[in-house]
Amino acid sequence: MRVFNVLIALAVGIVSGLGLTWLASARGSNFGTVQIGAWTAWPKSGTVEADPYARATFARAGELPLGLADGIAFVATTDDAGARLDGRCDIRIEGRLPPARYWTLTVYDPRGRLIDNVADRYGYNSAEIVWRPDAAIEIVLAPRARDGNWIPSGGRDRLIAVLRLYDAPVGLGSRSGDAAEMPAIRQEYCP
Amino acid sequence: MRAYALPLIAGLVLGGLVHIVTTLTMPRFASEDAFARLARLGPPNVVQIIPDSTPSQATLPRMDPAFLSAVCVYDLSSAALRVRIPTTADYTSVSFYTRYGLAYYALNDHAAGARTIELQLMTPAQRAALPEDEDITAADRLIIESPTAEGIVMIRALVRERGLRETIRARLTEASCSPIG
Repeated sequence: MRVFNVLIALAVGIVSGLGLTWLASARGSNFGTVQIGAWTAWPKSGTVEADPYARATFARAGELPLGLADGIAFVATTDDAGARLDGRCDIRIEGRLPPARYWTLTVYDPRGRLIDNVADRYGYNSAEIVWRPDAAIEIVLAPRARDGNWIPSGGRDRLIAVLRLYDAPVGLGSRSGDAAEMPAIRQEYCP
Repeated sequence: MRAYALPLIAGLVLGGLVHIVTTLTMPRFASEDAFARLARLGPPNVVQIIPDSTPSQATLPRMDPAFLSAVCVYDLSSAALRVRIPTTADYTSVSFYTRYGLAYYALNDHAAGARTIELQLMTPAQRAALPEDEDITAADRLIIESPTAEGIVMIRALVRERGLRETIRARLTEASCSPIG
C-alpha cells in the first residue's frame, strides 16, 4: 500500500509538473507585460532581466527576442473584442501608433511562419505604407485582394499580428507606456 | 478517498518542484533553440547572411521579413573578436545574445553615430587581461563583454522598399567578425 501511495505521488508530480511547464512555455510569460488594447508586449524579455518563463518560451520556440535597445514587439492574437484573429474575416487594423523611427507590421501563422501568397506580401513598414492624412494607418488583412494597404491572410483560421517599433522611446517599454496609442483591431464579414 | 489525500498533496508539491526545475533548465536542454538553428548556417566566428524567411522555410520563427539579417555565432574561448558592421541609409542594428538566447546588449546606427559600427567582443577575463595601455584603452573603442564564451551577434538592416533589397544585401556582406591577434 505504501509503495502504491508513493507511486501515485510520483505520477501526479511528474504529470502535473511537466504539464504545467509545457503549457507555460507554449503560452508565454505573464510577467511584466504591457497591454494596450489587443496588443501585448514583453519589454523585459529583450533584456538580461527576462523572467524564467520568457526564457523557456523563447528557447523552446527557437526564437530570439527583440533586444529592448533595438525595438519593442507588440503581439496580437485576438481583436479588440477578444475574438481570435481569423483570416477568413476582414481584419481591420486602424489608428495611430506610438512614435518610433520605423515600425513594421507582420502577419504569421501560430507557429511563427509567414503566410503564403502570390504577392510575397507579409506585412508593411512605416516607409512603404500609404498613410492616412490624419497620420493614422489603416491596414486590412483579408483573403482576397483589395485596394489600399492589404495583407493577404490566406484564409487561415488563426493568425498572429506583430507590430514592431524600432528605436522607440524608452518609456514605451515601462508601465507608464499604458497611455500609448495603438491601432484598434476589428473583424468584419466573418463567414 | 481520504486515503489518497496525502499522496495527492505530496504529488502536487512534487509537481510544483518539477515545474520550477524544468522551466529553469529548459534553455539549457532545448535542442532546437536559436543558437542551434543559427550554428547550422556555418562555422563560428564568421558572418553568415541569413536566408530570407519564406512561408515554407525560415531559419528562426517570427523573423521580421522587412529586415535583412546576418549573424555571427561566436566562440570566444580562444580569442576575443573584432566586429565591424557597415550601416545602411536606413535602420541598422546589432544585438548581442548569450548562448541561451538572453539579449544582453544592442545598439543601432544612430546610437553608434558612424558609417561603420566597430566594436570588440570579449569575455570579462579577456578584458581584465588587456594591457593598461593608454592608446588601447582609448574611449572611442567600444568593448562589449559577453557573459558567456559562446553567443550570437545578430545584425539587422531594414529594407524600406523591395527595390533596395540587393543593395542592402551587398552592404551587409561587408560585415565581419574575426578573432583578434
